[in-house]
Amino acid sequence: MFAPLDPVLHSQLRLSVVSLLVSVRAAEFTWLREKTGSTAGNLSVQLNKLAEAGYIEIKKSFRDNYPLTECKITKKGIKAFEAYVNNIKQYIHQKK
Amino acid sequence: MEINDDIRDEKQSLEIIGRMIENARQGIQDNGFFYLLWGYLVLAAAATHYVLQYMLNYPYPWLSWAVLMPAGGIVSMIYGMKMDKKQGAKTYIEKNMMYVLVAFLVSLLIVLFMMPLLRQNTYPLVLVMYGIWLFCSGGMLRFRPLIAGGVINWFFGILAFYQTFEYQLILLAAAVLIGYIIPGHLLNMQYKKNVRTA
Repeated sequence: MFAPLDPVLHSQLRLSVVSLLVSVRAAEFTWLREKTGSTAGNLSVQLNKLAEAGYIEIKKSFRDNYPLTECKITKKGIKAFEAYVNNIKQYIHQKK
Repeated sequence: MEINDDIRDEKQSLEIIGRMIENARQGIQDNGFFYLLWGYLVLAAAATHYVLQYMLNYPYPWLSWAVLMPAGGIVSMIYGMKMDKKQGAKTYIEKNMMYVLVAFLVSLLIVLFMMPLLRQNTYPLVLVMYGIWLFCSGGMLRFRPLIAGGVINWFFGILAFYQTFEYQLILLAAAVLIGYIIPGHLLNMQYKKNVRTA
């Protein structure tokens, strides 16, 4: 029996963002956009979905009068990511 | 590249995770600035001290340190603040590196402050501490030339304990050249290569 894959993470952009955020302490919106190669609008929507699920924290502030959005993965997000990776491994092993 | 679609299969998931983790590692590596800055400053200060004291018999040869070290501190602070804004992502390595750097600087200050007690043993101890910083930061960056630089500084430290102050200055200059300046340039070259291919 397979555990179902977490629908929050089973999307290209959301999985990309979470994979980036597990590697760093915190990341700015522009950095995430650059690394994922996504559009600002799409990234913004997906970040909000991840935040709603409690997987990431979004902090909005200002720097030199420009808005600054910083994202950080939460403990819940790390657990979900680990579970997702383990499930995927099982799927792949089963297919072999 | 459009990556807002659903995921095709599990392999694609793994591929995305692998690529993004690799992406996150790129571009946030050290450009070697601090090693180069301090390497050249200490080299210049040691060389100037040597020339002032042993060639010109100037009464205040330590002035080279008094001028260059605070200047380095100011440049480091400005650069650090600028980089912090530019980076876009805060990494775990950076935080660890900062702890090691602070530990090193505090220990260095203590040793320098104890100079009247330590006397001849001051510079050898400074070299031993350079070794700690280079070895630890090299290990965290997985950059062998810095690790090797750390080991060389320890070795030079041992040697320096048996030398007069005159030769300690020369050893110090050689140690920063091998331990900081050469690895710093190598790190900078690798960084530029990474930025180009990123």
